[in-house]
Amino acid sequence: MKKNLKITPEGTKDYLFKECTAVDYVCKKIQKVFENHQFHRVITPALEYYDLFATESSGISAESMFKTTDNNGRIVVVRPDSTLPIARMVSTRMQNEVLPVRLYYNQAVYRNNPSLTGRSNEIMQMGIELIGSKGKRADLEIITTAIQTLKAVCKDFRIEVGHSLLFTSLIDSLNVESDLKEKIKDYIESKNYAALNFVLDKLVQNDTVKAIRTFPSLFGGEEVFEKAEKLIKLPKALEALAYLKSLYKDLCKLDMEDKIIVDLGLVQQNEYYSGIVFTGYTLGYGDAILSGGRYDKIFGEFDIDLGASGFAVNINHLAEEAKYRSKSNLPEVLVFAKTDDDIMSAILYTEQLVKDGVKAQFSDLSDEKEAREFAEKLGIKKFKIIGD
Amino acid sequence: MNPIRIALTKGRLEKSTIELFEKLGYNCDEVHNKGRKLILSVGGGKFEVVLAKAADVITYVEHGVCDLGVVGKDTILEKGTSFYELLDLGFGKCKFALACKNGYDFYHGYGAKTIATKYPNVTRTFFEGKDMDVRVIKIEGSVELAPLVGLSDGIVDIVETGSTLEANNLSVIEYVTDISARLIANIASLKLRKKEIEELVSKMEAEVK
Repeated sequence: MKKNLKITPEGTKDYLFKECTAVDYVCKKIQKVFENHQFHRVITPALEYYDLFATESSGISAESMFKTTDNNGRIVVVRPDSTLPIARMVSTRMQNEVLPVRLYYNQAVYRNNPSLTGRSNEIMQMGIELIGSKGKRADLEIITTAIQTLKAVCKDFRIEVGHSLLFTSLIDSLNVESDLKEKIKDYIESKNYAALNFVLDKLVQNDTVKAIRTFPSLFGGEEVFEKAEKLIKLPKALEALAYLKSLYKDLCKLDMEDKIIVDLGLVQQNEYYSGIVFTGYTLGYGDAILSGGRYDKIFGEFDIDLGASGFAVNINHLAEEAKYRSKSNLPEVLVFAKTDDDIMSAILYTEQLVKDGVKAQFSDLSDEKEAREFAEKLGIKKFKIIGD
Repeated sequence: MNPIRIALTKGRLEKSTIELFEKLGYNCDEVHNKGRKLILSVGGGKFEVVLAKAADVITYVEHGVCDLGVVGKDTILEKGTSFYELLDLGFGKCKFALACKNGYDFYHGYGAKTIATKYPNVTRTFFEGKDMDVRVIKIEGSVELAPLVGLSDGIVDIVETGSTLEANNLSVIEYVTDISARLIANIASLKLRKKEIEELVSKMEAEVK
């Protein structure tokens, strides 16, 4: 049998030197935004029971999870998402906390993507969860935090805002079998518009079908609302539209109309969203780097009625971009101990230099010539010998 | 600003798209004299055209390294994942069809049928819609051969004029869907470069209508 000794599993990679510096750089910036907004860090296990993600509303397909079993044969998955574990944690361990709570995380999620597509299966994510509050105040707080996060780490970005009830109420009002409704939802969630149109073509072409067909292309500024008001007649959808409009007007006070897009076709992959939804894009990356919204329904799975909203940012690409900007971490001085008797004084000398704010490194090579070559190859400018 | 990068499906669709660009007044000289170049400038640097195989057009657009793409609906249905379909360009028209040997009663009996095709996903979706459990065999070359030599009961393939089917004593049982060339867009590009892309799309739309 050929051993996979020298390769990492598909969709994963090692991070070295500058790559790590870049990851740290991005994470620190985001962490600052989160902590400035008084969010507190939590860590959940990398392994969770499959059941947590197998709920109808999770929107994570069984095929896309890495699975194994525990000692009792129960199915365990490597977490494919951090929101559901945090909801589990809050509903069990934080029952007596003062609400609302503000939590953030910085941990990878794992997805078993189809092979040979070039996608990462290990996605570093940071995100926030605002739990225990509903309504406009919470919605605006979460969106503005998202905007500040993008501002902190992207050169240029767009954030699009939508409302999940627009689409779902329209689909629910369709007079078709529930199987087909599910299919339509699936296609919209996966943004598979080709398959969506294929299904819609076969339906009676009424106002609702027309609206569903047009929605994916309805995005832009304020003009979007005018167009949409003419398209939809369903009271529930109109209500969602009016709310989104008032939210957009508030967001315009940030003076960032060029960065904020209204997108009526926006839906998130997880079906637990029940209100506003938003997605962030950055120049030079073909996929969303931030996504979030309101998901009050999520706590229904744990038999609690709690408002919940939040978002997650994917770090991988941001770090890739930051790599070119991050400074090198090269030491300025290499400290060499002439003989073995000088080792301790050299170590102490190095420590003193570091205390004084100089980037210094103790040389663990015992041959002076080798140590000098090492310094030269790395580009360390100063070479200090202790023990003359 | 960087030019908008467009991936074109090599061959017929490429030709028709370039004709369309020329009608819109964009200079396409570099495409006509491409030699061995892979990235070609169109419209005096406003656009960049790359040529690729149909399925690769979708891959390039999905990853966002190309903003737009021109590809057949057949490939979209087979491979379709995450991108926007903006426009039916009206050329490259043909049909997906289920065909079998002349005189063969395809729907007869209870045995699971075997279908040979280059488009396994389209085939599966089509028969799922009929609540039929079929065995799908992927063929890379001339699919018409499979039912003739007895590999399959039928084929699902693209039919343009039907002459290949006729010449091999095959006939269409049912049309699955119509196909034509589509303009697709990367999701992020459409948000980040909305104005430029919409300008091009409305020009193209006015011309193909």
